This record gives sequence, C-alpha cells and structure tokens, in this order.
Amino acid sequence: MINFNRRFFLRILFFSSVWFILTGVDTTSWMVGVPAVLIASGLSLTLAPPSQYRISLVGVCCFMPFFLRQSFHGGIDVMRRALSSRQLLDPGLVSYTTFLPEGSARIFFANTISLLPGTLSAELHGNSVTIHTLDRGLPIWANIQGLEYHVAALMRISPVKRKNL
Amino acid sequence: MVPVKKNMDILYHSGTLLILLGLPFFLSGTVGLIRFPDIYTRLHALTKADNVGLGFVVSGLALQSGSWAVTAKLLLIWLLVLIASSASCHLIARSAMQKNIQPWTRQ
Repeated sequence: MINFNRRFFLRILFFSSVWFILTGVDTTSWMVGVPAVLIASGLSLTLAPPSQYRISLVGVCCFMPFFLRQSFHGGIDVMRRALSSRQLLDPGLVSYTTFLPEGSARIFFANTISLLPGTLSAELHGNSVTIHTLDRGLPIWANIQGLEYHVAALMRISPVKRKNL
Repeated sequence: MVPVKKNMDILYHSGTLLILLGLPFFLSGTVGLIRFPDIYTRLHALTKADNVGLGFVVSGLALQSGSWAVTAKLLLIWLLVLIASSASCHLIARSAMQKNIQPWTRQ
C-alpha cells in the first residue's frame, strides 16, 4: 500500500508539472488543474499499472543522444529518397524477435522503431515485431539490435535474458 | 547593456537559422507523401521527416523566446507530437497489415 501511495504521488507530481508547464504561473488555472491532475493520475494508474521496471537515469542520458542522432538520420534518409530523381526505394517486410518483456518496454521499443532510419513497426505479436523497411539494403538488424539494447538499459532489463528464449 | 543585446541577437539569429533548417524536412515529408508508392512508404515519409522538421522549428523558437517557461512548453509539445505520431503511425500500419494490404515492392 505504501508502494501504491508512492506511485500515486509520483504520477500526481508528474501531471502537476505538465499542467504547470502548460499554464505557467496563473494560479486561478489550478481550479481546473487540480481536478484534472487527480483524474489523470487515477486514470493513468488504471490504464497503465505500475510495472516492475524502473527507468534508469544513466539509461535516459545514453538514450537521448542516440535517439536524436537516429531520428536525424531517419529524416535525412527520407529527404534523400523523396527528393531524388531516381527511384531509391526497395521496401520489404522483416520480422524481429525481441527479448524485451511484455508491457511498456516492448511498446516503447515498437514505437521508437518507427523513428529509426528506414524502419517502421507494422505489427506487434507477442515477442515478434513485423518491421517494414524502405530499403532492404540498410543494416536493419544492427540498427534494431542497437535500439533494443538502449531500451533495455533504459528500463534496467538485463539483455542476458535472450538466452532463456 | 550592449553585450546583453548582442547576446540576444545571436540567440535570435541562430533560432532563425534552426527554423530555416527545419523547413526542408517538412517539404520532403510532403513530397514523399505524394511521390512514394504505397501506404507504408508514405508513413515513413510523414513520421520521420516531420518529426525532425518539428524538432528544428521547436528548438529555433525556443532560442528566440528567451524564456525557460516557453522553452519547456515547446519541448513538451514536441514530445507529445513524437508520441502521437509514432503511435498513430504504428496503428495505421497495423490496420493496413490486418486488411492484408501488400507492401509495394521493387520489380
């Protein structure tokens, strides 16, 4: 129960800071803000129950530059293919089996695949992700594996678990 | 007071530069949406190019604003757009897969 209260308090803190960023120092806005924050915290606890994994601060610091660099490459890659006079597309589907556990880690992984250069997560079935790629010549496996390890570090998941599968 | 003004000018102009850098990404996202052959490749064009373009525009505006409150708000907007676009991109691709729409392939 203590743990639950702590979780609830953390979510209230989180949604309060979002509200604060949106509305600034206007104190009257909290007449709407306080109920909104309480409802959002309650809803988020029912819709996304706390998982056993905690986010690692070091993981966040490693993930941010990786993510920004990769999305920049993704944008440049699309720009090159869209503006080129030649047809540069060679799309296809690939399937990838992830060691990440079910829940927020896997969903986060699937969503960030779509922001890597040339890949897009098209379907998520159990631990298998179907990926659509713009170019089958890209190093898709290496990219996705890199992302997978970053997500694992972010959520403090040991990558050794792959051996159990 | 002069150095402060000069400092603001540098911030303002680098902000303008970042915004200008972001525009080609939006343009290529739209060109890709028109030129690419099928739903999946079009999703690539929209999500990736627009996210990078918005990132540049948001950081440019943040530099120009000169206020931490506005910067935090802009970053929050970018984060929310990132989450919304990657989630909706995945949902559209998934529903296309479930409708058995075959991806375009090179002959």
